[in-house]
Amino acid sequence: MKKMLSLMSTAILLLSLVAGCFPKGGVEQKAAPDAGEKKVKEETVIVRLEGGDWGYPTPFAHYSRGPGSAKTAYIFDSLLERDEKGNIPWLAERWDILDDGTRYVFHIRPGVKWQDGQPLTARDVAFSFNYYRQYRPVSISDMVMDQNYLLQIKVLSDMQVEFTTVEANATFLETVGRVRIIPEHIWSGIEKPEEFLEPAAVIGSGPLRLVDYNKEHGTYRFEAFMDFWGPRGALDVLEFVPVSDAVLALEKGEIDLAGIPADVLSRFKNNPAFTAIENPAFWGYRLRFNMEKLPEFKTKAVRQAFAYAIDRQELVDKIARGEAIPGSMGILSPHHHWYNSDLPSYQRNLEKAKELIVGAGISHKPSYDLLVAGGEEVRIGEVLKEQLAMAGIDIKVTSVDMKTRDARITEGNYELVLVGHGGWGQDPDYLRARFSSAETTWTSGTPGYSNPEVDRLAAEQLKETNEARRKELIFTLQQLLAEDVPEIPLYLTTGHNVFRQDVYDGWVHVFDHHAPTHNKLSYLQR
Amino acid sequence: MSLQKTSLRSLEYLLTFLLIITLNFALPRLMPGDPFLHLSGEAGEIVEGYTDQQRKYFLEYYGLNRPVTEQYWRYLSEVARGNLGFSYYYKEPVLVIIARRLPWTLFLVATATVLSLIFGILLGSYSAWRRGYWQDKMLYLIMVVFGEIPAFLIGLALLILLAAGIGLFPLAGAITHFARYTSSWDRIKDILHHAALPALTLSLTRTSGIYLLVRNSLGTILARDYMRTARAKGLAEPRIRYRHALRNALLPLVTRVALQMGAMVGGAVLVENVFVYPGLGRLMRDAVLVRDYPLLQGIFLVLAISVMGTNYLADLLYRYLDPRTRTTDVMNACGRGTYGKTEPSGL
Repeated sequence: MKKMLSLMSTAILLLSLVAGCFPKGGVEQKAAPDAGEKKVKEETVIVRLEGGDWGYPTPFAHYSRGPGSAKTAYIFDSLLERDEKGNIPWLAERWDILDDGTRYVFHIRPGVKWQDGQPLTARDVAFSFNYYRQYRPVSISDMVMDQNYLLQIKVLSDMQVEFTTVEANATFLETVGRVRIIPEHIWSGIEKPEEFLEPAAVIGSGPLRLVDYNKEHGTYRFEAFMDFWGPRGALDVLEFVPVSDAVLALEKGEIDLAGIPADVLSRFKNNPAFTAIENPAFWGYRLRFNMEKLPEFKTKAVRQAFAYAIDRQELVDKIARGEAIPGSMGILSPHHHWYNSDLPSYQRNLEKAKELIVGAGISHKPSYDLLVAGGEEVRIGEVLKEQLAMAGIDIKVTSVDMKTRDARITEGNYELVLVGHGGWGQDPDYLRARFSSAETTWTSGTPGYSNPEVDRLAAEQLKETNEARRKELIFTLQQLLAEDVPEIPLYLTTGHNVFRQDVYDGWVHVFDHHAPTHNKLSYLQR
Repeated sequence: MSLQKTSLRSLEYLLTFLLIITLNFALPRLMPGDPFLHLSGEAGEIVEGYTDQQRKYFLEYYGLNRPVTEQYWRYLSEVARGNLGFSYYYKEPVLVIIARRLPWTLFLVATATVLSLIFGILLGSYSAWRRGYWQDKMLYLIMVVFGEIPAFLIGLALLILLAAGIGLFPLAGAITHFARYTSSWDRIKDILHHAALPALTLSLTRTSGIYLLVRNSLGTILARDYMRTARAKGLAEPRIRYRHALRNALLPLVTRVALQMGAMVGGAVLVENVFVYPGLGRLMRDAVLVRDYPLLQGIFLVLAISVMGTNYLADLLYRYLDPRTRTTDVMNACGRGTYGKTEPSGL
């Protein structure tokens, strides 16, 4: 029987292969279904994007890598949202900051409905936080989890919820503002939230609701939630489908937006059906020094010598093929809303680099191991090796896989390491996490680096709730860091997204994130 | 086979299985890093970076901070109860994840095996009959070259030519997404249409091995005395070719197909990644990337069982097809599937 079946399936497959050998009019005829789709478009706007499985979009079941959290955010709202300029009121209509910034009262927007028709109240907000403190979701800030910091979450009325903390923290509002609010009436009895994969688990209050998800095929289908409290949806259906190659899929009309590499960009730029938008530079590579292992890296002059010896623009041109900007020595991305442009730029100066090395009194010929992960990073490593050799610094590039590199960073087992990640547009408190000597872990901090002035400013900005004053502190902090060079941000990628504007053109970048598909404002009429 | 031999053989399989299961446990853990360590991503990738505190929480939650021996025993006892564990990354029982993916890989591998057998036998026997002529030399060259090209390259070439170029086949995936089929025949057609390129790629890479085997073993048989006898009896040429020659030449293929199952599954991993085909191959790649220990253990275990199972089936099938191997003496003398030692069974 099995034999019969397999024989039959082979025969059918062969038939389809043979049938496929006779072209049915080729590319020209492919235009016909496209025209048909356009007609449909007038009634319903369907947007298709590159898919892949990123998990069931609940705060507990989406995956820790990739855009699973963004899909969760389409469904689940938070107290605050982000637009092009900054944080904006969302589920919280407004808020009061009381008692020197230790007490926050959020006023919840009236008339908000869950996707199952139930009303959303302050009780749901308090419940969400308390539930997360009991069952940790995939993504949550330590500050929210810390019972010794966030002392109490109290429902004052149907529409008011109060948070009491130990001390003021400049990042508190944004941190709390981004926590996903889940419905109490659905989640209250759930004891294993990561195993709760029912349709009820994806009922949120956001503008899109999940109607279809297929794990093995990596597909999602969202539809506009008609009773959404906020701006009207600008599309009716948002689908994610897997593609083998994003460029081919965009050209063939299988998807409507894709990140396009520099070398094929001109193909789309010259085609009036497509529009290209450049992304802000919030994803970058850092060159880190291990100051614990090699005390000579504690000498500022040595680190500055590296900065003068490295030509960051050449890396941008050669490796990123122009789709990036050189990092700022003040660490914050030049596209960050609090970027200080008035900083030493460390234009390449080989003589100066050599002088600094001599002046630092290093007796041996400087020679270091540089740890990189695979792919692009190996090429960056090789260019760095060439550039530094010209300043008399020898580099040996060691390439391992990404997880191995990450593990070696957490163990402090490297001399120089290259690491790339996103988040460069986020709250500038990451300067404190990276460079304050109070942060002693390898995971986030820079062990061995200590500058009391940096420590002081880093601590001060965290407590400063006056935004203008805090911005000044951050600007000064960037100056100190640019002088000190505790690490070298090599470049931050920009890259282009190309989309079919006749299908959908509502794409926006929020102020701190590089992907227009990740924020729900891209799908709303505003 | 005597009872003693049978139990020895079973013991052999059991020991192999234990070894595999231990390796399954040890290998993922020997790789540096752990499932909750995310410091970096590939260009543009979003990663939820965990602080040390968060990482510690998850390591504790999933029992990864316990002694390795304890984790090992727990794993063994869970496997014995048929529980493959819970995936850290995919947040689902491993068995459920695999059960959803395995049919796609099996389908791909089975189709490709059948296709490569058909291609290999047809071309191999043609070559053997044309031995020494230009057709044989040409085919031989083409087959050797094809056998050396990695599966993903062939896949990419087919993808660009047949899917992107002339649009005969879909670019990716195993089905049309969000489709509503009017009949199950539509559904089957859709699945076959999507499977065509991956299956073709995989079978192309596997055809050359079968081709070479058929060509050689048929070549040996064609030179045998009993072929001359058959001709002398005045049998028709097709009868000689297919009943007498090919049938005997195909015996070693059984072993060959079973032995190359491992390579076939390995090839499927690459092909699935090129065509975004939702089988175990893609899953395995992702699981390695995120160090999802339970899932890796589960996939390796299932693959090992499938390959071992095929070998065992081949053992049985061979014994059925070749009566000589049913007696232990002959088995010892010939070894299973020794090429070129086949004697006529039909005369």
